[in-house]
Amino acid sequence: MIRLIRAELVKLSTTRLFLWLGLLIVALSGFVTTITILSTDELSLATLDQQRSLAQFAAVGAIIALIVGIVLAAGEYAHGTIAHTFLVSPVRPRVVAAKLIAGAIVGVLVTGFAELVTWTIAAAWISGRSVPFLLDSRPILDTYLGILGAGALAAVLGVGLGAVLRRQTAAIVIALVWLLVGEPVLSTAGIQEYAPGHAIAAVAVAGERSSELLGLWPGLLVALFYGIAFAAVGAVLMDRTDVS
Amino acid sequence: MAEARPIEVRGLTKRYGSTVAVDDLTFSIPAGRITGFLGPNGAGKTTTLRAVLGLVRPSAGEARVAGEPYRRLRDPLRRVGAVLEADSFHPARSGRNHLRVLALAGGIPLARVDDVLAEVELTGAARRKVGGYSLGMRQRLSVAGALLGLPELLVLDEPANGLDPEGIRWLRNFLREFTAGGGTVFISSHVLAEVAQLANEVVIIHRGRLVAQEPLETLMARAAGGTVARSPEAERLRALFAEAGLEATVISADELRVAAPPERVGEIAAAAGIVLHELRTEAASLEEVFLGLTSEGPS
Repeated sequence: MIRLIRAELVKLSTTRLFLWLGLLIVALSGFVTTITILSTDELSLATLDQQRSLAQFAAVGAIIALIVGIVLAAGEYAHGTIAHTFLVSPVRPRVVAAKLIAGAIVGVLVTGFAELVTWTIAAAWISGRSVPFLLDSRPILDTYLGILGAGALAAVLGVGLGAVLRRQTAAIVIALVWLLVGEPVLSTAGIQEYAPGHAIAAVAVAGERSSELLGLWPGLLVALFYGIAFAAVGAVLMDRTDVS
Repeated sequence: MAEARPIEVRGLTKRYGSTVAVDDLTFSIPAGRITGFLGPNGAGKTTTLRAVLGLVRPSAGEARVAGEPYRRLRDPLRRVGAVLEADSFHPARSGRNHLRVLALAGGIPLARVDDVLAEVELTGAARRKVGGYSLGMRQRLSVAGALLGLPELLVLDEPANGLDPEGIRWLRNFLREFTAGGGTVFISSHVLAEVAQLANEVVIIHRGRLVAQEPLETLMARAAGGTVARSPEAERLRALFAEAGLEATVISADELRVAAPPERVGEIAAAAGIVLHELRTEAASLEEVFLGLTSEGPS
Protein backbone atom coordinates (compact mmCIF):
# COMPACT_ATOMS: atom_id res chain seq x y z
CA MET A 1 0.00 0.00 0.00
CA ILE A 2 2.83 2.39 0.87
CA ARG A 3 4.34 2.02 -2.60
CA LEU A 4 0.98 2.80 -4.19
CA ILE A 5 0.62 5.93 -2.04
CA ARG A 6 4.14 7.03 -3.01
CA ALA A 7 3.31 6.45 -6.67
CA GLU A 8 0.18 8.61 -6.33
CA LEU A 9 2.22 11.40 -4.75
CA VAL A 10 4.81 11.19 -7.53
CA LYS A 11 2.03 11.34 -10.12
CA LEU A 12 0.85 14.64 -8.69
CA SER A 13 4.31 16.10 -8.27
CA THR A 14 5.53 15.30 -11.78
CA THR A 15 3.06 17.44 -13.69
CA ARG A 16 2.54 21.19 -13.52
CA LEU A 17 -0.55 20.80 -11.31
CA PHE A 18 1.14 22.00 -8.12
CA LEU A 19 2.72 24.95 -9.91
CA TRP A 20 -0.62 26.24 -11.20
CA LEU A 21 -2.52 25.52 -8.01
CA GLY A 22 0.27 27.12 -5.97
CA LEU A 23 0.05 30.26 -8.08
CA LEU A 24 -3.72 30.21 -7.68
CA ILE A 25 -3.38 29.98 -3.90
CA VAL A 26 -0.87 32.85 -3.83
CA ALA A 27 -3.14 34.97 -6.02
CA LEU A 28 -6.38 34.22 -4.17
CA SER A 29 -5.10 34.17 -0.59
CA GLY A 30 -2.71 37.05 -1.15
CA PHE A 31 -5.29 39.23 -2.84
CA VAL A 32 -8.09 38.64 -0.33
CA THR A 33 -5.79 38.99 2.70
CA THR A 34 -4.22 42.20 1.40
CA ILE A 35 -7.55 43.80 0.41
CA THR A 36 -9.09 42.91 3.77
CA ILE A 37 -6.19 44.39 5.76
CA LEU A 38 -6.13 47.54 3.66
CA SER A 39 -9.86 48.06 4.18
CA THR A 40 -9.75 47.41 7.93
CA ASP A 41 -9.02 50.16 10.46
CA GLU A 42 -6.40 49.57 13.13
CA LEU A 43 -8.96 49.35 15.92
CA SER A 44 -10.66 46.37 14.28
CA LEU A 45 -7.35 44.83 13.19
CA ALA A 46 -6.24 44.75 16.82
CA THR A 47 -8.97 42.27 17.73
CA LEU A 48 -8.54 38.53 17.89
CA ASP A 49 -11.66 37.97 15.78
CA GLN A 50 -10.35 40.10 12.94
CA GLN A 51 -6.92 38.49 12.93
CA ARG A 52 -8.55 35.07 13.07
CA SER A 53 -10.71 35.94 10.07
CA LEU A 54 -7.47 36.78 8.23
CA ALA A 55 -6.13 33.34 9.13
CA GLN A 56 -9.33 31.75 7.84
CA PHE A 57 -8.64 33.01 4.32
CA ALA A 58 -6.23 30.07 4.15
CA ALA A 59 -9.35 27.91 3.89
CA VAL A 60 -9.24 28.64 0.16
CA GLY A 61 -6.61 25.90 0.28
CA ALA A 62 -9.35 23.42 1.17
CA ILE A 63 -11.15 24.20 -2.09
CA ILE A 64 -7.89 23.69 -3.95
CA ALA A 65 -7.42 20.43 -2.02
CA LEU A 66 -10.88 19.33 -3.17
CA ILE A 67 -9.81 19.92 -6.78
CA VAL A 68 -6.55 18.05 -6.21
CA GLY A 69 -8.55 15.11 -4.85
CA ILE A 70 -10.77 15.09 -7.91
CA VAL A 71 -7.73 15.22 -10.19
CA LEU A 72 -6.14 12.33 -8.28
CA ALA A 73 -9.11 10.06 -8.93
CA ALA A 74 -10.59 11.28 -12.22
CA GLY A 75 -7.49 12.77 -13.87
CA GLU A 76 -6.19 9.36 -14.78
CA TYR A 77 -9.35 8.68 -16.75
CA ALA A 78 -8.99 12.04 -18.50
CA HIS A 79 -5.44 11.23 -19.63
CA GLY A 80 -5.97 7.49 -20.13
CA THR A 81 -3.23 6.57 -17.65
CA ILE A 82 -5.69 4.58 -15.54
CA ALA A 83 -4.90 1.51 -17.67
CA HIS A 84 -1.24 1.68 -16.54
CA THR A 85 -2.37 2.05 -12.94
CA PHE A 86 -4.63 -0.99 -13.08
CA LEU A 87 -2.03 -3.07 -14.94
CA VAL A 88 0.45 -2.44 -12.12
CA SER A 89 -2.13 -2.73 -9.37
CA PRO A 90 -5.10 -4.79 -10.61
CA VAL A 91 -6.91 -4.79 -7.26
CA ARG A 92 -8.77 -1.55 -7.90
CA PRO A 93 -10.15 -0.82 -4.41
CA ARG A 94 -6.53 -0.73 -3.22
CA VAL A 95 -5.84 1.95 -5.80
CA VAL A 96 -8.78 4.00 -4.51
CA ALA A 97 -7.55 3.56 -0.93
CA ALA A 98 -4.06 4.72 -1.93
CA LYS A 99 -5.53 7.75 -3.66
CA LEU A 100 -7.57 8.58 -0.53
CA ILE A 101 -4.50 8.52 1.70
CA ALA A 102 -2.34 10.39 -0.83
CA GLY A 103 -5.19 12.91 -1.18
CA ALA A 104 -5.34 13.48 2.56
CA ILE A 105 -1.57 14.06 2.67
CA VAL A 106 -1.68 16.48 -0.25
CA GLY A 107 -4.73 18.21 1.23
CA VAL A 108 -2.71 18.99 4.36
CA LEU A 109 0.24 20.20 2.24
CA VAL A 110 -1.94 22.41 0.05
CA THR A 111 -3.78 24.05 2.94
CA GLY A 112 -0.46 24.34 4.78
CA PHE A 113 0.92 26.29 1.83
CA ALA A 114 -2.19 28.51 1.80
CA GLU A 115 -1.67 29.15 5.51
CA LEU A 116 1.97 30.04 4.92
CA VAL A 117 0.94 32.55 2.24
CA THR A 118 -1.84 34.19 4.29
CA TRP A 119 0.23 34.19 7.48
CA THR A 120 3.23 35.78 5.74
CA ILE A 121 1.14 38.54 4.17
CA ALA A 122 -0.93 39.17 7.30
CA ALA A 123 2.13 39.12 9.55
CA ALA A 124 3.95 41.60 7.28
CA TRP A 125 1.03 44.06 7.33
CA ILE A 126 0.22 43.68 11.02
CA SER A 127 3.87 44.05 12.08
CA GLY A 128 4.00 47.37 10.25
CA ARG A 129 1.08 48.79 12.23
CA SER A 130 0.57 49.72 15.83
CA VAL A 131 -1.61 46.72 16.64
CA PRO A 132 -0.93 43.64 18.79
CA PHE A 133 0.36 40.62 16.89
CA LEU A 134 -2.10 37.79 17.64
CA LEU A 135 -1.37 35.47 14.71
CA ASP A 136 0.65 33.22 17.02
CA SER A 137 -2.04 33.06 19.71
CA ARG A 138 -3.61 29.73 20.65
CA PRO A 139 -7.08 30.40 19.11
CA ILE A 140 -5.53 31.32 15.79
CA LEU A 141 -3.16 28.34 15.86
CA ASP A 142 -6.26 26.18 16.47
CA THR A 143 -7.80 27.75 13.38
CA TYR A 144 -4.72 26.89 11.35
CA LEU A 145 -4.90 23.32 12.66
CA GLY A 146 -8.59 23.10 11.74
CA ILE A 147 -7.87 24.33 8.22
CA LEU A 148 -5.22 21.63 7.79
CA GLY A 149 -7.83 19.04 8.79
CA ALA A 150 -10.35 20.64 6.43
CA GLY A 151 -7.79 20.36 3.62
CA ALA A 152 -7.35 16.64 4.26
CA LEU A 153 -11.12 16.08 4.40
CA ALA A 154 -11.77 18.15 1.28
CA ALA A 155 -9.18 16.15 -0.67
CA VAL A 156 -10.69 12.87 0.54
CA LEU A 157 -14.12 14.10 -0.57
CA GLY A 158 -12.58 15.09 -3.92
CA VAL A 159 -11.09 11.63 -4.41
CA GLY A 160 -14.46 10.08 -3.60
CA LEU A 161 -16.35 12.34 -5.98
CA GLY A 162 -13.75 11.84 -8.71
CA ALA A 163 -13.95 8.06 -8.26
CA VAL A 164 -17.74 8.12 -8.57
CA LEU A 165 -17.87 10.37 -11.64
CA ARG A 166 -14.53 9.53 -13.30
CA ARG A 167 -14.86 12.66 -15.40
CA GLN A 168 -12.46 15.30 -14.19
CA THR A 169 -13.98 18.48 -15.59
CA ALA A 170 -17.54 17.43 -14.80
CA ALA A 171 -16.56 16.52 -11.24
CA ILE A 172 -14.82 19.87 -10.65
CA VAL A 173 -17.75 21.83 -12.09
CA ILE A 174 -20.31 19.85 -10.06
CA ALA A 175 -18.28 20.27 -6.86
CA LEU A 176 -17.90 24.03 -7.29
CA VAL A 177 -21.53 24.55 -8.31
CA TRP A 178 -22.62 22.55 -5.29
CA LEU A 179 -20.44 24.62 -2.94
CA LEU A 180 -21.33 27.97 -4.48
CA VAL A 181 -25.01 27.36 -5.26
CA GLY A 182 -26.26 24.11 -3.74
CA GLU A 183 -25.19 24.66 -0.15
CA PRO A 184 -26.24 28.34 -0.01
CA VAL A 185 -29.69 27.19 -1.17
CA LEU A 186 -29.74 24.65 1.67
CA SER A 187 -28.76 27.48 4.02
CA THR A 188 -31.89 29.41 3.13
CA ALA A 189 -33.89 26.38 4.29
CA GLY A 190 -31.74 26.10 7.41
CA ILE A 191 -30.64 22.52 6.64
CA GLN A 192 -27.07 23.23 5.59
CA GLU A 193 -25.30 21.86 8.69
CA TYR A 194 -25.01 18.33 7.38
CA ALA A 195 -24.02 19.28 3.86
CA PRO A 196 -20.43 18.26 2.98
CA GLY A 197 -19.11 21.80 2.48
CA HIS A 198 -20.51 22.99 5.78
CA ALA A 199 -19.24 19.89 7.58
CA ILE A 200 -15.73 20.64 6.29
CA ALA A 201 -16.18 24.29 7.23
CA ALA A 202 -17.03 23.21 10.78
CA VAL A 203 -13.61 21.56 10.94
CA ALA A 204 -11.94 24.57 9.31
CA VAL A 205 -13.19 26.97 11.99
CA ALA A 206 -11.94 24.51 14.60
CA GLY A 207 -15.09 24.43 16.66
CA GLU A 208 -15.59 28.20 16.71
CA ARG A 209 -19.23 28.63 17.71
CA SER A 210 -21.53 29.16 14.78
CA SER A 211 -25.27 28.67 14.49
CA GLU A 212 -24.83 27.52 10.88
CA LEU A 213 -22.20 24.85 11.49
CA LEU A 214 -21.85 21.64 13.41
CA GLY A 215 -19.27 21.42 16.17
CA LEU A 216 -15.71 20.33 15.39
CA TRP A 217 -16.08 16.59 15.99
CA PRO A 218 -19.57 16.12 14.50
CA GLY A 219 -18.41 18.15 11.52
CA LEU A 220 -15.31 15.97 11.15
CA LEU A 221 -17.35 12.77 11.32
CA VAL A 222 -19.94 13.99 8.81
CA ALA A 223 -17.23 15.19 6.39
CA LEU A 224 -15.36 11.91 6.77
CA PHE A 225 -18.59 9.99 6.17
CA TYR A 226 -19.15 11.79 2.86
CA GLY A 227 -15.58 11.20 1.73
CA ILE A 228 -15.52 7.51 2.64
CA ALA A 229 -19.04 6.88 1.29
CA PHE A 230 -18.24 8.49 -2.06
CA ALA A 231 -14.94 6.62 -2.22
CA ALA A 232 -16.61 3.28 -1.43
CA VAL A 233 -19.20 3.79 -4.17
CA GLY A 234 -16.43 5.01 -6.49
CA ALA A 235 -14.30 1.93 -5.72
CA VAL A 236 -17.20 -0.38 -6.61
CA LEU A 237 -17.88 1.53 -9.83
CA MET A 238 -14.20 1.57 -10.78
CA ASP A 239 -13.95 -2.13 -10.09
CA ARG A 240 -16.90 -2.94 -12.34
CA THR A 241 -16.09 -0.58 -15.17
CA ASP A 242 -14.07 -1.78 -18.14
CA VAL A 243 -11.00 0.19 -19.14
CA SER A 244 -11.14 0.37 -22.89
CA MET B 1 0.98 -31.21 -12.75
CA ALA B 2 1.63 -29.60 -16.13
CA GLU B 3 2.96 -26.06 -15.99
CA ALA B 4 0.32 -23.47 -16.82
CA ARG B 5 0.53 -21.92 -20.25
CA PRO B 6 1.54 -18.23 -20.39
CA ILE B 7 -1.95 -17.29 -21.61
CA GLU B 8 -5.07 -19.44 -21.58
CA VAL B 9 -8.42 -18.18 -22.78
CA ARG B 10 -11.43 -20.41 -22.20
CA GLY B 11 -14.92 -19.73 -23.51
CA LEU B 12 -14.27 -16.00 -23.35
CA THR B 13 -17.28 -13.94 -24.29
CA LYS B 14 -17.64 -10.17 -24.06
CA ARG B 15 -20.86 -8.39 -24.87
CA TYR B 16 -21.39 -4.66 -25.04
CA GLY B 17 -25.15 -4.36 -24.96
CA SER B 18 -26.41 -6.33 -27.93
CA THR B 19 -22.99 -6.35 -29.61
CA VAL B 20 -20.89 -9.44 -29.10
CA ALA B 21 -17.24 -8.36 -29.30
CA VAL B 22 -15.76 -11.74 -28.34
CA ASP B 23 -17.76 -14.93 -28.73
CA ASP B 24 -16.87 -18.09 -26.84
CA LEU B 25 -13.18 -17.77 -27.65
CA THR B 26 -10.81 -20.52 -26.54
CA PHE B 27 -7.09 -20.73 -27.18
CA SER B 28 -3.77 -20.84 -25.38
CA ILE B 29 -0.26 -19.81 -26.32
CA PRO B 30 2.98 -21.75 -25.88
CA ALA B 31 5.88 -20.55 -23.75
CA GLY B 32 9.11 -19.28 -25.24
CA ARG B 33 7.64 -18.48 -28.63
CA ILE B 34 6.13 -15.56 -30.49
CA THR B 35 2.42 -16.02 -31.11
CA GLY B 36 0.70 -13.67 -33.50
CA PHE B 37 -2.89 -12.73 -32.69
CA LEU B 38 -4.50 -11.90 -35.98
CA GLY B 39 -7.80 -10.67 -37.23
CA PRO B 40 -9.24 -7.76 -39.15
CA ASN B 41 -9.98 -4.47 -37.39
CA GLY B 42 -12.95 -4.97 -35.10
CA ALA B 43 -12.41 -8.73 -34.83
CA GLY B 44 -12.19 -8.53 -31.03
CA LYS B 45 -8.40 -8.66 -30.58
CA THR B 46 -8.11 -5.62 -28.33
CA THR B 47 -11.08 -6.68 -26.20
CA THR B 48 -9.55 -10.14 -25.80
CA LEU B 49 -6.16 -8.74 -24.83
CA ARG B 50 -7.74 -6.34 -22.35
CA ALA B 51 -9.67 -9.23 -20.83
CA VAL B 52 -6.40 -11.16 -20.54
CA LEU B 53 -4.88 -8.13 -18.78
CA GLY B 54 -7.79 -7.71 -16.36
CA LEU B 55 -8.87 -4.37 -17.82
CA VAL B 56 -12.13 -5.74 -19.25
CA ARG B 57 -14.48 -8.04 -17.35
CA PRO B 58 -15.60 -11.05 -19.42
CA SER B 59 -19.36 -11.55 -19.81
CA ALA B 60 -18.62 -15.27 -19.70
CA GLY B 61 -15.58 -17.53 -19.68
CA GLU B 62 -12.19 -16.58 -18.40
CA ALA B 63 -8.67 -15.57 -19.32
CA ARG B 64 -5.66 -16.65 -17.31
CA VAL B 65 -2.06 -15.56 -17.24
CA ALA B 66 0.38 -18.16 -15.95
CA GLY B 67 -2.58 -20.09 -14.58
CA GLU B 68 -4.24 -17.21 -12.74
CA PRO B 69 -6.65 -14.43 -13.62
CA TYR B 70 -4.58 -11.26 -14.10
CA ARG B 71 -6.35 -9.55 -11.22
CA ARG B 72 -5.06 -12.19 -8.84
CA LEU B 73 -1.43 -11.98 -9.94
CA ARG B 74 0.99 -10.85 -7.28
CA ASP B 75 3.40 -8.25 -8.64
CA PRO B 76 1.93 -8.41 -12.16
CA LEU B 77 4.62 -6.07 -13.51
CA ARG B 78 7.16 -8.84 -12.84
CA ARG B 79 5.01 -11.43 -14.65
CA VAL B 80 3.57 -9.62 -17.67
CA GLY B 81 4.65 -6.61 -19.68
CA ALA B 82 1.84 -5.00 -21.66
CA VAL B 83 1.99 -2.59 -24.58
CA LEU B 84 -1.52 -1.32 -25.22
CA GLU B 85 -2.86 -0.03 -28.50
CA ALA B 86 -2.83 3.79 -28.67
CA ASP B 87 -1.23 3.87 -25.24
CA SER B 88 -1.92 7.01 -23.21
CA PHE B 89 0.44 9.10 -21.15
CA HIS B 90 0.14 12.32 -19.19
CA PRO B 91 1.47 14.85 -21.70
CA ALA B 92 3.10 17.04 -19.04
CA ARG B 93 5.00 14.17 -17.40
CA SER B 94 8.44 13.21 -18.65
CA GLY B 95 9.06 9.74 -19.98
CA ARG B 96 11.38 9.04 -17.08
CA ASN B 97 8.83 10.16 -14.50
CA HIS B 98 6.15 8.04 -16.18
CA LEU B 99 8.37 5.03 -15.65
CA ARG B 100 9.24 6.11 -12.09
CA VAL B 101 5.52 6.09 -11.24
CA LEU B 102 5.13 2.57 -12.64
CA ALA B 103 8.27 1.34 -10.88
CA LEU B 104 7.21 2.80 -7.54
CA ALA B 105 3.71 1.33 -7.75
CA GLY B 106 5.04 -2.02 -8.95
CA GLY B 107 7.75 -2.34 -6.31
CA ILE B 108 10.49 -2.27 -8.94
CA PRO B 109 13.87 -0.73 -8.01
CA LEU B 110 14.12 2.76 -9.52
CA ALA B 111 17.49 1.84 -11.06
CA ARG B 112 15.52 -0.23 -13.60
CA VAL B 113 14.03 2.96 -15.01
CA ASP B 114 17.31 4.10 -16.53
CA ASP B 115 18.08 0.53 -17.63
CA VAL B 116 14.88 0.17 -19.65
CA LEU B 117 15.21 3.67 -21.08
CA ALA B 118 18.61 2.64 -22.41
CA GLU B 119 17.21 -0.67 -23.64
CA VAL B 120 14.61 1.09 -25.80
CA GLU B 121 17.12 3.77 -26.84
CA LEU B 122 15.19 6.59 -25.20
CA THR B 123 17.77 7.83 -22.71
CA GLY B 124 18.32 11.10 -24.57
CA ALA B 125 14.63 12.02 -24.41
CA ALA B 126 14.00 10.65 -20.92
CA ARG B 127 13.56 14.04 -19.26
CA ARG B 128 11.43 15.52 -22.03
CA LYS B 129 7.67 15.74 -21.59
CA VAL B 130 5.81 12.90 -23.29
CA GLY B 131 3.53 15.44 -24.98
CA GLY B 132 6.48 16.25 -27.25
CA TYR B 133 7.25 12.63 -28.13
CA SER B 134 6.71 11.22 -31.61
CA LEU B 135 4.47 8.18 -32.01
CA GLY B 136 7.53 5.96 -32.30
CA MET B 137 9.00 7.37 -29.08
CA ARG B 138 5.71 6.79 -27.27
CA GLN B 139 5.69 3.23 -28.50
CA ARG B 140 9.22 2.75 -27.18
CA LEU B 141 8.18 4.26 -23.86
CA SER B 142 5.33 1.74 -23.73
CA VAL B 143 7.80 -1.07 -24.36
CA ALA B 144 10.09 0.36 -21.65
CA GLY B 145 7.19 0.27 -19.19
CA ALA B 146 6.45 -3.31 -20.16
CA LEU B 147 10.06 -4.32 -19.51
CA LEU B 148 10.41 -2.68 -16.09
CA GLY B 149 9.69 -5.82 -14.09
CA LEU B 150 11.78 -8.14 -16.27
CA PRO B 151 8.66 -10.17 -17.17
CA GLU B 152 8.71 -13.46 -19.02
CA LEU B 153 5.62 -12.59 -21.04
CA LEU B 154 5.04 -9.60 -23.28
CA VAL B 155 1.57 -8.78 -24.57
CA LEU B 156 1.54 -6.24 -27.37
CA ASP B 157 -1.59 -4.84 -28.99
CA GLU B 158 -0.97 -3.60 -32.55
CA PRO B 159 2.48 -2.28 -31.59
CA ALA B 160 3.45 -1.49 -35.18
CA ASN B 161 0.53 0.89 -35.75
CA GLY B 162 1.91 4.23 -36.84
CA LEU B 163 5.54 3.15 -36.60
CA ASP B 164 7.87 4.05 -39.44
CA PRO B 165 9.86 1.25 -41.14
CA GLU B 166 12.84 1.89 -38.87
CA GLY B 167 10.63 1.63 -35.81
CA ILE B 168 9.09 -1.60 -37.05
CA ARG B 169 12.54 -3.07 -37.69
CA TRP B 170 13.64 -2.03 -34.20
CA LEU B 171 10.56 -3.65 -32.66
CA ARG B 172 11.04 -6.84 -34.65
CA ASN B 173 14.68 -7.18 -33.63
CA PHE B 174 13.81 -6.38 -30.06
CA LEU B 175 11.11 -9.06 -29.86
CA ARG B 176 13.41 -11.66 -31.46
CA GLU B 177 16.03 -10.91 -28.83
CA PHE B 178 13.40 -11.11 -26.10
CA THR B 179 12.30 -14.61 -27.13
CA ALA B 180 15.90 -15.68 -27.71
CA GLY B 181 16.34 -14.98 -24.01
CA GLY B 182 13.47 -17.35 -23.17
CA GLY B 183 10.60 -14.85 -23.16
CA THR B 184 7.14 -15.37 -24.57
CA VAL B 185 5.46 -12.83 -26.84
CA PHE B 186 1.78 -12.49 -27.73
CA ILE B 187 1.44 -9.81 -30.38
CA SER B 188 -1.72 -8.69 -32.12
CA SER B 189 -1.99 -7.24 -35.57
CA HIS B 190 -4.51 -6.85 -38.34
CA VAL B 191 -1.73 -7.16 -40.92
CA LEU B 192 -0.46 -10.70 -41.36
CA ALA B 193 2.75 -9.60 -43.07
CA GLU B 194 3.83 -7.73 -39.92
CA VAL B 195 3.57 -10.85 -37.83
CA ALA B 196 4.61 -13.39 -40.48
CA GLN B 197 8.26 -12.35 -40.17
CA LEU B 198 8.21 -12.83 -36.42
CA ALA B 199 5.69 -15.35 -35.23
CA ASN B 200 6.11 -19.06 -34.66
CA GLU B 201 2.38 -19.56 -34.10
CA VAL B 202 -0.74 -17.71 -35.10
CA VAL B 203 -4.15 -17.36 -33.49
CA ILE B 204 -6.64 -15.96 -35.98
CA ILE B 205 -10.01 -14.58 -34.97
CA HIS B 206 -12.86 -13.08 -36.91
CA ARG B 207 -16.01 -11.49 -35.52
CA GLY B 208 -14.90 -12.47 -32.05
CA ARG B 209 -14.56 -16.18 -32.81
CA LEU B 210 -11.56 -18.41 -33.32
CA VAL B 211 -10.89 -19.14 -36.98
CA ALA B 212 -7.53 -20.89 -36.72
CA GLN B 213 -4.73 -21.62 -34.30
CA GLU B 214 -1.72 -23.23 -35.86
CA PRO B 215 2.02 -22.96 -36.36
CA LEU B 216 2.99 -20.38 -38.95
CA GLU B 217 4.46 -23.15 -41.12
CA THR B 218 1.02 -24.73 -41.41
CA LEU B 219 -0.45 -21.45 -42.49
CA MET B 220 2.36 -21.08 -45.02
CA ALA B 221 1.70 -24.59 -46.29
CA ARG B 222 -1.88 -23.53 -46.98
CA ALA B 223 -0.47 -20.63 -48.92
CA ALA B 224 1.66 -22.97 -51.00
CA GLY B 225 -1.46 -23.66 -53.09
CA GLY B 226 -1.23 -26.25 -55.90
CA THR B 227 0.46 -27.11 -59.16
CA VAL B 228 -0.86 -26.25 -62.58
CA ALA B 229 -0.12 -28.77 -65.33
CA ARG B 230 -0.75 -28.07 -69.04
CA SER B 231 -0.89 -31.10 -71.27
CA PRO B 232 -2.60 -32.18 -74.52
CA GLU B 233 -3.73 -35.27 -72.55
CA ALA B 234 -5.23 -33.39 -69.62
CA GLU B 235 -8.23 -35.69 -69.26
CA ARG B 236 -6.05 -38.84 -69.06
CA LEU B 237 -3.75 -37.08 -66.63
CA ARG B 238 -6.71 -36.20 -64.45
CA ALA B 239 -7.72 -39.86 -64.26
CA LEU B 240 -4.18 -40.80 -63.21
CA PHE B 241 -4.19 -38.16 -60.47
CA ALA B 242 -7.50 -39.52 -59.21
CA GLU B 243 -5.99 -43.03 -59.10
CA ALA B 244 -3.12 -41.61 -57.08
CA GLY B 245 -5.58 -40.01 -54.66
CA LEU B 246 -4.80 -36.44 -55.73
CA GLU B 247 -7.53 -33.92 -56.23
CA ALA B 248 -7.34 -32.23 -59.60
CA THR B 249 -9.60 -29.56 -61.01
CA VAL B 250 -9.99 -28.61 -64.65
CA ILE B 251 -8.98 -25.04 -65.46
CA SER B 252 -9.36 -25.31 -69.23
CA ALA B 253 -9.33 -28.03 -71.89
CA ASP B 254 -5.60 -28.61 -71.48
CA GLU B 255 -4.98 -27.29 -67.95
CA LEU B 256 -5.39 -28.90 -64.53
CA ARG B 257 -4.78 -27.65 -61.01
CA VAL B 258 -3.49 -30.43 -58.73
CA ALA B 259 -3.19 -30.31 -54.96
CA ALA B 260 0.35 -31.67 -54.97
CA PRO B 261 3.88 -30.37 -55.35
CA PRO B 262 5.19 -30.09 -58.96
CA GLU B 263 7.72 -32.93 -58.43
CA ARG B 264 4.91 -35.41 -57.72
CA VAL B 265 2.83 -34.19 -60.65
CA GLY B 266 5.81 -34.46 -63.00
CA GLU B 267 6.66 -37.98 -61.81
CA ILE B 268 3.11 -39.26 -62.39
CA ALA B 269 3.02 -37.75 -65.88
CA ALA B 270 6.47 -39.13 -66.77
CA ALA B 271 5.59 -42.62 -65.51
CA ALA B 272 2.57 -42.69 -67.85
CA GLY B 273 4.55 -41.19 -70.74
CA ILE B 274 2.34 -38.13 -70.89
CA VAL B 275 3.76 -34.99 -72.43
CA LEU B 276 3.62 -31.84 -70.33
CA HIS B 277 3.77 -28.43 -71.98
CA GLU B 278 3.90 -26.55 -68.74
CA LEU B 279 4.30 -27.30 -65.04
CA ARG B 280 4.17 -24.44 -62.57
CA THR B 281 3.36 -23.85 -58.90
CA GLU B 282 0.50 -21.59 -58.09
CA ALA B 283 0.91 -20.02 -54.66
CA ALA B 284 -1.59 -17.90 -52.82
CA SER B 285 0.03 -15.20 -50.70
CA LEU B 286 -0.14 -15.53 -46.95
CA GLU B 287 -2.30 -12.43 -47.00
CA GLU B 288 -4.76 -14.16 -49.35
CA VAL B 289 -4.95 -17.14 -47.00
CA PHE B 290 -5.52 -14.80 -44.09
CA LEU B 291 -8.20 -12.89 -45.93
CA GLY B 292 -9.77 -16.17 -46.99
CA LEU B 293 -9.90 -17.39 -43.40
CA THR B 294 -11.28 -14.15 -42.05
CA SER B 295 -13.88 -13.70 -44.74
CA GLU B 296 -15.16 -17.26 -44.55
CA GLY B 297 -15.21 -17.17 -40.78
CA PRO B 298 -18.30 -17.55 -38.67
CA SER B 299 -20.95 -14.94 -39.10
